[in-house]
Parts: sequence; C-alpha cells; structure tokens
Amino acid sequence: MEFITESHYYRVMPFLLEGLVWTLLITFVGLIIGFVLGAIFGFARLSKNKLIYGIATVYVEAVRGTPILAQILFIYFGLSDLMGVNIDKITASIIAIAINAGAYIAEIVRGAVYSIDKGQEEAGRSIGLTRNQTMRYIIWPQAFRRMIPPLGNQFVISLKDTSLFSVIAVGELLYMGQQYYGMTFQAFQALTMVCVMYLIITVPTAIYLRRVERRLDV
Amino acid sequence: MITVKDLHKSFGSNEVLKGINAEIKEKEVVCVIGPSGSGKSTFLRCLNLLEEVTSGDVIIQGDNLTDPKININKIRSRVGMVFQHFNLFPHKTVLENITIGPIKVKGMKKAEAEKVARPLLEKVGLSDKADAYPESLSGGQKQRVAIARSLAMEPSIMLFDEPTSALDPELVGDVLEVMKDLAKEGMTMVVVTHEMGFAREVGDRVLFMDEGVIMEEDLPEKLFGDPQNPRTQEFLSKVL
Ligand SMILES: Nc1ncnc2c1ncn2[C@@H]1O[C@H](COP(=O)(O)OP(=O)(O)OP(=O)(O)O)[C@@H](O)[C@H]1O
Ligand SMILES: [Mg+2]
Repeated sequence: MEFITESHYYRVMPFLLEGLVWTLLITFVGLIIGFVLGAIFGFARLSKNKLIYGIATVYVEAVRGTPILAQILFIYFGLSDLMGVNIDKITASIIAIAINAGAYIAEIVRGAVYSIDKGQEEAGRSIGLTRNQTMRYIIWPQAFRRMIPPLGNQFVISLKDTSLFSVIAVGELLYMGQQYYGMTFQAFQALTMVCVMYLIITVPTAIYLRRVERRLDV
Repeated sequence: MITVKDLHKSFGSNEVLKGINAEIKEKEVVCVIGPSGSGKSTFLRCLNLLEEVTSGDVIIQGDNLTDPKININKIRSRVGMVFQHFNLFPHKTVLENITIGPIKVKGMKKAEAEKVARPLLEKVGLSDKADAYPESLSGGQKQRVAIARSLAMEPSIMLFDEPTSALDPELVGDVLEVMKDLAKEGMTMVVVTHEMGFAREVGDRVLFMDEGVIMEEDLPEKLFGDPQNPRTQEFLSKVL
C-alpha cells in the first residue's frame, strides 16, 4: 500500500478534490444563470421587435466573436477598474461563465424553438390558447427536449473553460494541480491526475448525451 | 353564422384572396373545392385569423374578426380547426391532447375535462387509446383525435382543411365517417376537400374556388351535375 500512498498521483488528490469542488460550483452556478440569460436572449432573437432582436444579436455576436480568456480578464480586471471596486474572483468566474454560456445557450434556445413545426403553434392557437400559453405548454416542452443534447455539450465546454480562471488564480482544478507541482516539481503526475479528473466528469456526460440523442432521434 | 364580405388577403405583393363573399348558415355543411394554390386553405385560415386579413370583413356570430378590439382567443375557442397534418401535440397523451384546451382555456379541473374528453374519444372510436402517445397511432387515428381535440372546446363551427389528404386510402373512411356523424348532429362545418364523394353526399352547398375568388357555388347535385362556369367544368373533368 505504501507505494500508492507515497506516490504523487495519490498525494496530489486532496488538492485536486478541493479544486474540483470549485470547478463544479463555478460551472453549475454559472450555467444556471447562463440558462436564464440564454432563454431570455434566445427568445429575444426570435422577436419580431427590431430593437429587442438587435440588442440580443449584439450580445450573442459580441460573446461568440471574442475569446473567453479576454472575457474573463475583461470582467475581472476591466470591470473592477471601471467601477473602482474589486470583484471577488469566484463571483467574476461565475459571471464570466454565465455571460459566455448565455450567448451560446441563446442560440441553442432559438434553434430549438425555431425547429418546432409551425403547425404546433397553429393547433394551440386554434383551440383558443393564448400566444404565451401556446409557448409554455406546447412549444417549450418540445423545444426543451431538443435542447438537452446541445445543453449537455455546453456543460462540457463550460466545465473545461473554467480551467482558464487559473490565470486569475481561482482555486479551480487546473490551478490546484499547478500549485502542487509548483511545490513538488512533479508536473507529469499532477497534470495526469488533473486530466483524469476532467475526464471522470466529461466522459460519462458524453456517453449519457449520446444515449439521450439516440432516444430523441426516433 | 359566418358572413364574409369582400375578403382580400395578400402575402407581400402576392394577392391570394381577391374579394371573397360568402354566407354560411347555422348547421350548414359547406364544402370548398378547387385547384391547388387557389387559396382554399388561406380562406379557411382567415375564418379563425390564423392568417391576418388584409381587408374586408369576417363576421362570426355577430363578432367582426377584423375589429382590432376583438378577443381572438375567445373566438378561436368557438371555431374548431382540423388540419391536413393533424398537428397533435406529440409530448402529450391522446387524453391530454384533448383536455388541454378545456383546462387552460376554459379553466376546467383535470377530472372535469376528462369527463368531457372520454365520451368524445368514444365518439371517434378511440376509447382504448386514451393513454397512448400520438406517435403510436395511425394517420386516421391521429386525425380522429384531432377532431376530438377540437370538439372538446364545444365549438359552434368546425373548419376542416383537407382532413383526409395525408391519409392512406384505407384510413380515409373512418375519418369521413366521424365527419358525417358530426354533420348529422347539426354541426356547422366548412370543409376544404378533394373527396368529391363526401362533398356530394354530405355537403349542403359546394363552393368552387379558383384564382382567389369563388367562381361558382351551388347545391352539390347542381354543381357536380351541371356546372355553369367553364373553369368549374374544366376542374371537375380532371378530378371526377
Ligand atoms: N404563409 C404564406 N406566405 C406566402 N405565401 C403563401 C403563404 N401561404 C400561402 N401562400 C400562397 O398563397 C397561395 C394559395 O395558397 P393556399 O394554401 O391557400 O392554396 P390551396 O388552395 O389551399 O392549395 P392546396 O390545394 O395545394 O392546399 C399559394 O400561391 C401559396 O403559395
Ligand atoms: Mg390547402
């Protein structure tokens, strides 16, 4: 047993588990807010109102057209400068994931709602449901099912994106691995385990999503 | 019951309906026939404002649908519509498809709505399918559920847009049977159809539409037996 507990593969784990907690926290909270943003801006992108559509389009294109690393630095340093306050690192990370994922989720929402057959809305309206009721009870539940695979995909992307927060010294998974080999100079073992930790989350997610996708296909 | 006055409808610069005048009386079954692209569906969809009317009047039981103050959702719940492609809600069971209108529009309790729905399912011959999902039904069964879904709102008028054209020939009969029963019970119906046999047998009146106007209208035996308009003659010679 000793050769295991003495190895760096083992001794890095307490660091990595602490990092994983932050990685998951930032990802989940960021994505929940990102989903709300995505739903709002996704519907805005379907709006016939030019102003609403325009604002949403600017947001989506601005986020999709810039690197997430720049967005992170912009939120952490840029916004603090502008407002003259220090934003807490975790808060900045969550905001960055939310705003970044929100733009991609907006496109997922728009695409899914748009893909529902026009006849569904007509059938809903023709039995007397209002526009909102038709959206809520008829279109949205069907669209949401179609959104599950791309949303799961976005979860994997955002989870990996949190590693970029190591540049502002957020104690997430990658950063904690770096901390370990900074002290021990065992980069190979530490980074191997960092990757294993990411894969433990991402691979089962990918398998699950492929299964959901196949089920939705029929 | 329905009065249509000088109804025009354009899509952009394409004028599809060019002045339709029609009068549909209570308990009347009016069949609309005509070549593809003549505006039959558009006309029907204007009767419950699924299409916005460009100009003219559509008056249903005294309410002018073109009045901007009108509550269109109320009127739509009085005018049932059955579509060529059924448009059932795939994420809901047959029973839920039928009860959602009564529950959400009329504010019924679930149990109350099911009391409305079950006899309707029986009427269309699908009592055993209450808990099935639409994807497990045949086309003819789907269309009968769609009819039950409309009837659950207790409409005073039913609109049908080619209800049997997406069906395999052997499934057409069951759907037409349900429609005949409805007609016998005194439902006011406007039916766009290619089923000339149905129009002849069940229709009280037949409208022949072409190029966005009603070219000819008459009793079925007259219109099919002795059409006056050369366009009607030409159309009937092709389809009969
Ligand atoms: N939403 C729309 N936008 C633009 N043009 C449309 C729209 N709906 C219908 N049209 C056009 O209006 C014309 C009449 O269409 P409509 O569907 O009313 O014909 P129809 O008589 O029902 O034909 P069919 O027998 O093929 O169903 C067609 O030329 C069609 O291209
Ligand atoms: Mg049509």
